[in-house]
Amino acid sequence: MTTDHEQLTTDALPAWLDVAPLLSVARTATAADVEAALAAAHIGPREFAVLLSPAAAPYLENMARVAQALTRRHFGRTITLYAPLYLSNFCSSGCAYCGFAADRDHPRRKLSFDEADTELAALKRMGIEEVLLLTGERTPQADFAYICECVRRAAAHMAMVTVETFPMTTAEYAELVAAGCTGDTLYQETYDAAVYAPLHRWGPKRDFAARLDAPARALAGGIRQCGFGALLGLADPIEDALRLYTHIAGLQKQFWRAGFSVSFPRLRPEAGGFQTDHPVSDALLAQLIFAFRLALPENHLALSTREPAKLRDGFAGVGISKMSVASLTTVGGYDHGAEGGVGQFAVNDARGVADFCAALRAAGLEPVFKNWDAAYR
Amino acid sequence: MKVQVNGEPMERPAGETLAALLTALGAGSGRVATVLNDDVVPAAARATQSLSENDRVEILTFAGGG
Amino acid sequence: MSADLLQIGDLTFTSRLLLGTGKFSDSATMLRALAASGAQIVTVALRRFNPAQAADDLFGPLSQLPGVTLMPNTSGARDAAEAIRAARIARELCGSRLIKVEIHPNPQHLLPDAIETLEAARVLAAEGFLVMPYMPADPVLAKRLEDVGVASVMPLGAPIGSGQGLGASEMLRIIIENSRVPVIVDAGLRAPSEAAGALELGCAAVLVNSAVAAAERPVEMAAAFAQAVQAGRAAYRAGLMPRRSAASATSPLTNFLNAQT
Repeated sequence: MTTDHEQLTTDALPAWLDVAPLLSVARTATAADVEAALAAAHIGPREFAVLLSPAAAPYLENMARVAQALTRRHFGRTITLYAPLYLSNFCSSGCAYCGFAADRDHPRRKLSFDEADTELAALKRMGIEEVLLLTGERTPQADFAYICECVRRAAAHMAMVTVETFPMTTAEYAELVAAGCTGDTLYQETYDAAVYAPLHRWGPKRDFAARLDAPARALAGGIRQCGFGALLGLADPIEDALRLYTHIAGLQKQFWRAGFSVSFPRLRPEAGGFQTDHPVSDALLAQLIFAFRLALPENHLALSTREPAKLRDGFAGVGISKMSVASLTTVGGYDHGAEGGVGQFAVNDARGVADFCAALRAAGLEPVFKNWDAAYR
Repeated sequence: MKVQVNGEPMERPAGETLAALLTALGAGSGRVATVLNDDVVPAAARATQSLSENDRVEILTFAGGG
Repeated sequence: MSADLLQIGDLTFTSRLLLGTGKFSDSATMLRALAASGAQIVTVALRRFNPAQAADDLFGPLSQLPGVTLMPNTSGARDAAEAIRAARIARELCGSRLIKVEIHPNPQHLLPDAIETLEAARVLAAEGFLVMPYMPADPVLAKRLEDVGVASVMPLGAPIGSGQGLGASEMLRIIIENSRVPVIVDAGLRAPSEAAGALELGCAAVLVNSAVAAAERPVEMAAAFAQAVQAGRAAYRAGLMPRRSAASATSPLTNFLNAQT
C-alpha cells in the first residue's frame, strides 16, 4: 500500500463525528426513557438515541404507530416512486462489499448517449418520472462530462433527475444543477473511519473526509435534495445512525433551503461474496426506520428494492415515504434488447410498476410519480 | 450664516465650528452624536469641523426606548 | 455543569432578560426597575438633543450601572437606509456594537417591515455590528437573516405592546428548532408566566418593556420577570415531562416483520 493510501488521521475529521454522549444514551436507555421519548412533543438527538437503544426493541409496534401517524401527517397517504438507471459499471475503487469493485471480474460497460436516451424513454413508458442516475467512482470512461451529458438528456425526459455517482467539486455540482440535476445521493457507507479504511481498499473512495464533505459541496453548488445513507452491515448500525442523524442535522441548519432524505440500504449478496460482521435483522431495520421517522418527521425516508416485497409493503407509509420500483442494477436493461449483464447487487423485489402500484393501492396508498414540474427552470 | 439644527433654522456666526455650536446650545458637556448633512461627525472631529451656509446639523442623544 | 451563558456574537451575558427603557413614568423608576430586573442588555432609543431637557440625559445614569451593555434601537426608522444611519449614529454615541434593528413603517401597529429589516441587517452585519433584528415570527425570514450574519433573531411573540403573550408559539418553535443564533422573543409579552413559557420553549432570552413599565408597580414587576426568566430557563434545561399521547388501538402494524412469506 502506498503512502497516499494511508488511513486518514482522525484529527482531520469534523468534531460532530464524536457522538459518544448520544451513544451512551443509546446503550443505557431504560424502558421508562423509551416511553417518555415516544410521548415527547419533539424528538431531539437524545430521544432519537433512546429510540435506537435495545430498550426500545420491545416498543416496535408503538414506534410503528407514531411513525405511521407522522408519515401520514406530512406526506399524506402517498408514496413517492423513482427508478434507478445504472449508466456505467466502470469503477476506480475497490470497495470490498460492492459488485462493481474494480477487481471484480466481469464485463465493464457504459451506456452510450443514444443508449441512455433509449433507456430513459423505456423508463418513461413504464410511467417513471423521477430517475436516479448511477455510476461507480470517477473513471475516464464515466467521468464528470459524461454524467453531465446524461443528466442533460435525462432532464429532457423526466420531471426529476438525481444522481448517485462520486464526490465532486462545488463547481461540478453547480454545472450538474445547470444541466437539470435536482438531487444528489452519496452514501457515506459507514461513518466509522476505522471500519471505513480497510473496506475501501484503493481508489479515490479511500478519502473518507472528502466523501464526508461532499454533500456540503453539493448543497453549496445548488443541489436541492441530498440523499444520505449508511450501508447497513458494514459497522455498528446504531453508531452509524447517530452520526448520520448528526450529519444531516448540521447541514439542515446551514443549507435550510434544501431537502434531506435518508435511505436504509442493507448489504445484499453480490458477486464478490462479501460477508458482513454486523448483520441487521428485519426488526433492527424497522427500529432504525421508525426512529428516523420520529426524529425527522418532514424528511423523505427511502427504501429500495434491496428489500423483499413483504418488508416493502409493510414499511410503505409506516415511516417510509419514498421507494424505488422495478429496479434493475445492471447497466441499462429497461429497454428490451439492451444487454444487461451482472448487477451491482441482487434485487429482492422484482415486481413491475403495475404490480407494485396495485399493492400500494391495496394498502390505501397512492403512488406518486411526479410531485412538480421544473417549469420555471 | 443660516444653518438648520435639529430641523430648526438658526442664524450662526460664519465659519463657526461644530464644537462651538454644541457649546452654545448647552450640549458641549453631555454625550451627543452629531450628523452634518447626513454624515456622522465623530466627537474628535467636531473642533475642526466648521459649518457652512445652509448646513443641516442633527444633534442626537439617547432617550428611553424598547 | 458549565456556566449557562447567553452568547451574542462574541459577548456573553448571565441574564436572559433584556429590558427596554421606554414608557416609564420617570427615569428614576426606570433605573430602579432596571436594577431589579438584573438585565445586562438594555435598549435605548435615539432622540434629537433638546436643550430644555438636557438634565434628563439617560446616558449618564445608564453608563454608571455596572455590567450593563446598551443596545440602541433604530425605532423611528421607516426603511433600511434610515435604520442604517440610526445604527451608525448610535454606535458613535455609545460605542456599543449591539444594535436592535427595528423598522416599522406604520406608526399604529409598529409591526416590523421584513424586507427593509433584512436589507438593513445585511449592511450593518457587514460593518461589524452585532445585529439584533426585531422581526415577524417567520421561520424563513429567520434563516434569511441568519444567512446575512445577524447575531440573534428577535421575533415578536405577539403584536408589540399588545400583551397577548406567545400567540406565535408554533412559529417560534420552528424558528428555535432551526436557528443557529439565539432566538429572543421581543414584544407582546404581558405576564411573567409568558416569559417563562418562552424560555421553556427554548428561546434564549426575552426582551420586555411595556409589561414592566406599564405595570402597577414597575420595580416589583421587573423582579417578577427576572424570576420567571430564570425559572423558564431552568425548566428548559431540566427537560419537561412529556405529554401523554393516547394511542389508538388498531390492527398491528409490525406483523409483517414476523410473517413467514
